[in-house]
Amino acid sequence: MTAPSNSTLRLQYRQLYQNSLRYSLLGTRLTHRPALWNQVRKSHTVITADHVPLRKQLKDEARRKKADKKASPKSSKTLDPRLSRWELTVGLEIHAELNTACKLFSPAATSLNAEPNSHVALFDAAFPGTQPQFQKATLIPALRAALAFGCEVQRKSSWDRKHYFYQDQPNGYQITQYYEVTIGIKQIQLEQDTAKTILQPPSTYLLDFNRVGTPLIEIITLPHIHSPTTAAACVRKIQSLLRAVDACVVGMEMGGLRCDVNVSVRERGTTAEGLSEYAGVKGLGTRTEIKNLSSFKAVEDAILAERDRQIAVLESGGEIEGETRGWTIGQTETVRLRGKEGEVDYRYMPDPDLGPLIIGQDLVDHLKDILPMLPDETAERVVNKYGISTKDARTLISLDDGDRLEYTEAVVETVMQRLASLPEKQRFDKVGKVVADWVLHELGGLLTTAGVPWEIQTVTPEMLADIIVHLQSNQITGNTAKKLLAHYASLQPVAGAAIPSVSEIIDASGLRLVPLTEGEYVEMAQKVMAENPDMVKAVREKGQRGKIMWFVGQMMRRGEEGRVEAEKARLYVERLLEV
Amino acid sequence: MSSESNGPLFGKLIAIKDNISTGPSTPSLATTAASNTLRKHASPFAATVVRLLTENGALIAGKTNCDEFGMGSHSLNSAYGPVKNAYVRGGHALSAGGSSGGSAVAVATRQCWAALGTDTGGSVRLPAAYCGIVGFKPSYGLLSRWGVLDYANSMDTVGILSRDVPDARTLFRILNRFDEEDPTSLPPSVRARLSSADAGEKPDESARNARALRIGVPTDYCLEELSSPVHRAWIRTLNRLQDQGHQLVPVNLPSTKQALSAYYVLAPAEASSNLAKYDGVRYGSRLQDPPSHQEAEADKSGKSVLFSRYRGEGFGDEVKRRILLGAFALSAAAMDNYFIQAQKIRRLVQDDFDRVFASPNPLHTASSSSSSPKPSSAQKPAHEASPPQSTRSKVDLLITPTAPTLPPTIDDVRQQDPLATYTNDAFTVPASLAGLPSISVPVQTAGRPRSGAAADGDGGWGDVGCAGVQVIGQFGDDDIVLRMGEIVEGLR
Repeated sequence: MTAPSNSTLRLQYRQLYQNSLRYSLLGTRLTHRPALWNQVRKSHTVITADHVPLRKQLKDEARRKKADKKASPKSSKTLDPRLSRWELTVGLEIHAELNTACKLFSPAATSLNAEPNSHVALFDAAFPGTQPQFQKATLIPALRAALAFGCEVQRKSSWDRKHYFYQDQPNGYQITQYYEVTIGIKQIQLEQDTAKTILQPPSTYLLDFNRVGTPLIEIITLPHIHSPTTAAACVRKIQSLLRAVDACVVGMEMGGLRCDVNVSVRERGTTAEGLSEYAGVKGLGTRTEIKNLSSFKAVEDAILAERDRQIAVLESGGEIEGETRGWTIGQTETVRLRGKEGEVDYRYMPDPDLGPLIIGQDLVDHLKDILPMLPDETAERVVNKYGISTKDARTLISLDDGDRLEYTEAVVETVMQRLASLPEKQRFDKVGKVVADWVLHELGGLLTTAGVPWEIQTVTPEMLADIIVHLQSNQITGNTAKKLLAHYASLQPVAGAAIPSVSEIIDASGLRLVPLTEGEYVEMAQKVMAENPDMVKAVREKGQRGKIMWFVGQMMRRGEEGRVEAEKARLYVERLLEV
Repeated sequence: MSSESNGPLFGKLIAIKDNISTGPSTPSLATTAASNTLRKHASPFAATVVRLLTENGALIAGKTNCDEFGMGSHSLNSAYGPVKNAYVRGGHALSAGGSSGGSAVAVATRQCWAALGTDTGGSVRLPAAYCGIVGFKPSYGLLSRWGVLDYANSMDTVGILSRDVPDARTLFRILNRFDEEDPTSLPPSVRARLSSADAGEKPDESARNARALRIGVPTDYCLEELSSPVHRAWIRTLNRLQDQGHQLVPVNLPSTKQALSAYYVLAPAEASSNLAKYDGVRYGSRLQDPPSHQEAEADKSGKSVLFSRYRGEGFGDEVKRRILLGAFALSAAAMDNYFIQAQKIRRLVQDDFDRVFASPNPLHTASSSSSSPKPSSAQKPAHEASPPQSTRSKVDLLITPTAPTLPPTIDDVRQQDPLATYTNDAFTVPASLAGLPSISVPVQTAGRPRSGAAADGDGGWGDVGCAGVQVIGQFGDDDIVLRMGEIVEGLR
């Protein structure tokens, strides 16, 4: 389409990470888990049924809502009986500022609260005779975001100009990606941000071009959302995902993330005929778009208001017009901005200055390798590997910036090494679960009680591993194990002084569990029998065999902690009672 | 002045077209592209080409008048009034050609040693032909566009106007540098592949320099608009080249006829986009009257009345015409029928050239060796189906007229329908669409001296007495184009 000369340029200067700006969301988390967007999930696997993040977010939303409701005693609209007749459908379009050092097409620095117009390159102000200079580094966070959403990164993509006149758009167009839509619809793309306009009443506008050209990614979801609360939770989740992979760090509250929503309603049970289709989702009502929502609450409230408006129009026999509407916080209704006839023709055109950019698979693979694991994935992995509950897994992950999880893994690894050198008889199962319990509950409880923050606690993974191994292989009692842990946790490290190991302390203090001899078992059993002739009678004469275990219990209680083994005790009791 | 006393251009006066930024070191020179929207606009930075000139010792002689933002073929569409050719016919001033008319006249009248212009569809070659001087448009991407005000940036090329070909070559060698400020500047790796990169070291290049050249004569260029003096000058030039031992080969460039239409869709489309930045907010002259309250209110509601008034007052008629044409071509309703079709023609024009040139297009060579499929591959089979041009009929260069007629008088131009003036570009536009190097060299029309001899009644110069002959080469064959230009120049 463009000059041959352009096509060569491309080839050359983008050998490594040639830009590619459109990522089709093939096989993404979002597309392939449509049920995620419904509040009720039916699933056969524990893990997905217990898929915490979105559910948690939904819960949080619900909690927040409850609080709101308490605050304002007005009846909630969610009880509206009309909702049994009408179904809401919502799609999101999210713009998020990328975490980059420089702008998309100029080396000027990105900034949040800098002096107005202090980070503006000639191109940013659209000076005559300037051209865009693509900054390769901006690609990294964009790719991270794409990978975080499980997108397939399109190898080749191009830049398009989207034209409209506004004072915040110095070139008269925004450089974005429009053509070359392959899988279409659900996509992430890169584009430039606009300037900030500050109104100085009555009629002066101040323009700050610092933000001009800051790279944005646009994330478009399929219309799979059916409740305002879910929509808000979804925006939250997208924000936290972008944050988790370091792609976008400025949240909605700081204006780093903005959201448009597409809203439509349809009568439940209607067939697809005569209804709209969007992104392959059929049978939708006519949708309106609400622009520029800047908080999670605005997302929810605007959708709610627009849903109710559309239902009211439809119930009174009216028709919904495809139009763009606005929302102001505190209002109860969305406001019409422009209809379809007033729709701007953006006159998209491939940018002649910018060749299509090609992203090498090597770069994508590398980023994939170093991508921090996302919370969902980590939880899943931990659950599978250690057999602990999803709840415990998420607690481990969320504590101490992931440090608690790392610690747990180190303990598990050490325990496994120790076990390998123990005789078969002394090995034990469910190491992960045992270790997680100790880390979370024993060690965690100890530290909480003592008010010791995690960062300065003194129990090394080796110490805890040794304690657990000694306990689980019946070399020490549970009580001893707890005491040892408390001992290590209260250690004041002294420079140069060697800390005695677990087995050294056990031996030095004679804490090692010595099994009872046959004679000791017999002696103990006879003593209990002599003291309780009625019980002996009950077993011997009335044949109440159930009472045998009462004797075992007595022996366990009398014996030194941990030394009496129930199986052996029972053996001797049965022999002496002659049953 | 930062002139280098030992620079190769030391002390030479060079004029700069008004759409090339001259920057803060020449504070008295505004950069306005002959537009009221930029009246008194002093660019805060110098174009890379201007910097290279001054670094090599040149003196910036001044800014030259031109068509507003380079849009025009006669340099009449200027906020400063029309450019007049030094040549006159029957007492009437001739068109200097456009859009770099001011630069051409400055060189022709020896007010400077040479001048820079810009060539998007012929804006350096046409005025050179009309003013009897040399105009060279290098391959797209060799000379930096940083600091050059965009008209149609996929074709905008800095060009050189000079009295003879050796001077043009001298300037070209100084300006032919990679510039990382310009995203369309060819990077060093591509430059290394071009024949003009190190002509002496490539054996096939030196062979090509030594032997007689095969000259393609496009039969499609015999348009009905081609006037007989120009036609005769062209044929005579070809005959004399044949006499010197060069070989003439008739070639077909069938897409030539659609090229002009494609150009006048693509260039306005890009212009409508590139000129969107002139809204009066950040630079340029302020509106005559301050905005009324109503205007401010209307602006608040997104109607952009202030922008409209500023642009309405600032732009000239031709610029408005092309912005409207371009905005239409890009509109959702017309995109497929105009812009997309024009892009396809552009590809066909490029393919036409690639088919007749003996040397392969280094750009296409590059893309075919890469693993990514060529965007145009879908069109390939169509060409392969048609009988391939045999090696024997392939050529080193093409020689055509630069313009279909001798320069018309300014009065004649003013009588013309604006669209009729577009046909002036018919011979120059194809090379622009393909980004190819081409040069216009003056050759005498029958029996007339080349310049300035025939005095006219009113003491001015007489009629121009020469026509422009255009040499076109394969992409990157700039040196061969210059060499043939020099040969043509030596025929007089």
